Amino acid sequence: AHTMHGRKQPYRVAELARLMYDDMLSTAEVLRRWKGEEVEAEHDGADDEAQEDELFQRRKAVGDDDEDRIIPKLDYSALEAKWTDEENVEALRHRFASARLTGANGE
Amino acid sequence: MATAPAPPPLKFTGSKYLVQRLVLATLTGRTIRISQIRSSSHTAPGLAAHEVSFLRLLEAITNGSQIEFSYTGTTVLYKPGLITGSAAGYGAQGGVIRHELPAECRRGVGYFLVPLCLLAPFSKAQVNVIFTGPGVITSSTESGDVSVDTVRTAILPLLRSFGIENNLELRLLRRSNTGKDGRGGGGEVQLVFGHQVRLPKTIHLMDAGRIKRIRGVAYSTGVAGANNARLIEAARGVLNEFSPDIYVFSDVSSAPFVPAPTRDNPSAKKKTGLGFGLSLVAETNTNMLYSADVASPPAGGEAPEELGRKCAFQLLEAIEQGGCVSAVAAPTMLTLMALGSEDVGRITISKSVLGSEQVVQLARDLRFFGFSGWGLRDGDEEDEVVVSVVGKGVGNVGRKIT
Repeated sequence: AHTMHGRKQPYRVAELARLMYDDMLSTAEVLRRWKGEEVEAEHDGADDEAQEDELFQRRKAVGDDDEDRIIPKLDYSALEAKWTDEENVEALRHRFASARLTGANGE
Repeated sequence: MATAPAPPPLKFTGSKYLVQRLVLATLTGRTIRISQIRSSSHTAPGLAAHEVSFLRLLEAITNGSQIEFSYTGTTVLYKPGLITGSAAGYGAQGGVIRHELPAECRRGVGYFLVPLCLLAPFSKAQVNVIFTGPGVITSSTESGDVSVDTVRTAILPLLRSFGIENNLELRLLRRSNTGKDGRGGGGEVQLVFGHQVRLPKTIHLMDAGRIKRIRGVAYSTGVAGANNARLIEAARGVLNEFSPDIYVFSDVSSAPFVPAPTRDNPSAKKKTGLGFGLSLVAETNTNMLYSADVASPPAGGEAPEELGRKCAFQLLEAIEQGGCVSAVAAPTMLTLMALGSEDVGRITISKSVLGSEQVVQLARDLRFFGFSGWGLRDGDEEDEVVVSVVGKGVGNVGRKIT
């Protein structure tokens, strides 16, 4: 049961609210924790060293894109695959007004 | 009246989020000191051309700003003045500030316009700036700036919900793509921002609604107009499946001429900024906007069909993320919310937008500048978060006191 509870559920809003203003963590760190990518490392108990290592690696990696950007970087070949998949296309259709004429049409 | 001693400067490090911090400093009137700007870089330490340009722009639209660089340019101290806009007597000629961007500038003019749109509502007089010179790139760039078309159709309309809507005009006087090696362009853009407010209205944007129409602009500068048709057709090929109401304008213009003096011909000119691009905006029935932007890379080698599809995919991605603002507009909206009157404003944002480094850093910077923290709670949709921001009531008054 402990393992079940110890495992944090990723993308929880309350979790982000807590992490967001924790100034001890870098923003990248906050997001990785929020997304639950670091759960394993924390579980082992050797979290301190692991974190520090990862932190250092991250520093080096980040140095490359040290610029602000407005348009996010995207992997277009992955997107191409995603949006030619019928399932994803169907799933997005409900976001369009023309999808169902019976839907509440705002104005 | 005895004035209190000025509060010590707020300290920041790094070149990232530089503009965001400078804007917040100007709005709150706090002095800031940013150090270690690219101090680890051996090739180009210190402030880059576009950042220096932005500081000069700040100086031009404010009165009494003090900017001090360190010898290497890795540290800058900025003491903001009053935002006067283009009032006569402060460097504006005929009510217009001409801001010249150097040829080394690698960032699109969107890099300057978006923060300027944050400052302009709080100016004393109207803001009227012409961006000119050999460094103006009106298209989107590889470094992730939005095109002027996107600013006009997807950022300026956002201000309407804050009660800022009159006399806003963004004129594209001359188009330009990115020049050779990603430097410079030679375009010309005029921003007229004639609606100044005391405080932006408190907003409650909870319903993202559904996409009702998609609009866009395809542009070719100095290259055949057929590229536009190819861009549009490719984008439509992807998007027609979703929405019947798609209209993309096509704008063909010649490439700008910029002076390129050589030794034997000091008055020589050359064409620069050739290329094409596409900007798409999707509008929902509740007037929320999602945008996408692509432009041909300066090195070339990408077919218009390919770019058109990329742009369409980018738009679909933004729509899929959902929320009332896309990643492009989120920082602008959240900052204006924080500046609003002392009331709780609410906005629905998708988790992936909120969970971006930029937004998290904005939350931290805002708090560092003395704004209140955000409240987060789950939204109605599964991957949406309602962010509640308590305004600080800074508006146009705070700076008049300091």
